[in-house]
Amino acid sequence: MRGKAYRGLEDGQLVQLVAEKDDGALEALYERYGKVAYSLARRILTDELLAQDVVQEVFLSLWRNARRFDAGRGTVATYLLSMTHHRAVDVVRREENLRRRRTSDEVLEFKADPAPGVEAEAEAAERRAEVRAALGQLPPAQREALALAYFGGYTQREVASLVGVPLGTVKTRMAAGMRKLKEALQEAGREEQQPWTRQ
Amino acid sequence: MDTPINHSDYEQLAAGYVLGALEPDDEHVFQQHLGGCPQCEASVRELEEVVGELAYAAPPADPPATLWASIRREVRPERRRTQPRPRRGVAPLLARLAAAAAIVAVAALSVWNLNLRDQNASYRNQVAALEQAARLLNEPNTSRIALQGSATGAQATVVASSPQDRGVLIVENLPPLQRGRVYELWGIPERGRGQPQKALVFIPLRRQGVQTHEFEVPIQPGTVFAITEEPGPVGSDAPTTKPILAGEPQTV
Repeated sequence: MRGKAYRGLEDGQLVQLVAEKDDGALEALYERYGKVAYSLARRILTDELLAQDVVQEVFLSLWRNARRFDAGRGTVATYLLSMTHHRAVDVVRREENLRRRRTSDEVLEFKADPAPGVEAEAEAAERRAEVRAALGQLPPAQREALALAYFGGYTQREVASLVGVPLGTVKTRMAAGMRKLKEALQEAGREEQQPWTRQ
Repeated sequence: MDTPINHSDYEQLAAGYVLGALEPDDEHVFQQHLGGCPQCEASVRELEEVVGELAYAAPPADPPATLWASIRREVRPERRRTQPRPRRGVAPLLARLAAAAAIVAVAALSVWNLNLRDQNASYRNQVAALEQAARLLNEPNTSRIALQGSATGAQATVVASSPQDRGVLIVENLPPLQRGRVYELWGIPERGRGQPQKALVFIPLRRQGVQTHEFEVPIQPGTVFAITEEPGPVGSDAPTTKPILAGEPQTV
């Protein structure tokens, strides 16, 4: 199978092909999620080379373990992107100097998107708009706690210290924020099912 | 944190857990609970999805073309190497010894190479484990057990001494684990029918390479060795998942 033929396949079908060591299928998944994974890793790490290392590690992990991928435990997108997050946070904690260069204001900054362009990224751009809208609906204190943990790689105790509130308050804010995000994103997903982000 | 007293405390920890933001003691408490709570497991799965979707909030940045090129460079040779393995079990003694020696030599070289770059405690432990493996291989009543299973590309060998009740695990390319999970090595007596005995808890290397670990566990001639995935950081007292690799002894 070559080129365009992969584009009509769902994520789950591509993973099955990856399990059979079909590198074209891996490339198709990279085309779908490589950019968002890289964008996330770069945002967390603020370093292009480290971000590339993380993304490479994540896709090689899928390549080696596709046979064990269990669709019942989540989508391929969740697997790739949550692993990217985990790895990038691990790296940022190891590379403490990266974080010292960043203030919490930088972590919290949400820039407006550049024009999405004509790239085959309309779906990703829509997803981005949904996620940002969901974040925008959160009370600022919950958004701040989540952003510091998610993009800054800070632990709950570090967030408490940065924000100047008790640890218990941070726990409550993160739990409430994640619950609201889940509901908002589920709602958005119901309104518009995207064939390849849902298996 | 203080020990949670009701279930809503655990529910609250789930968010920090998927974000990787819990303090170590909270993470430990939550992991202990998670293995036996379907409700929290379901909650973690749902929240992991949010963690994935939040990636779209990052400012878009195009990866360089060299990124896919370097991933492809890694996967192409593997694609060519996917051929059925020859049957094992009738290899002559010498060939098996040579194979064991080769594994030890490769491991020793890679550890030596790493040591050139970084003399930290983990590498010193690796060298100690390799020395132990070499010592055991040189003694009678030592078994070499190749562990096999479903994990693609994963390789593991146990060098086990029954008189000494100790051994060395040599392992490579184990699948990476989700945060907070560990691998656990078990010695299971009576050809796998007895009660599994905890031998070792470890996490795989982030980078490719050979890992070696010493362990102590009761070893009889029919003891089977198996590796399972377990909740970290301390593992379980009995296996809670199916082994990803397992093997029976053959005396070398």
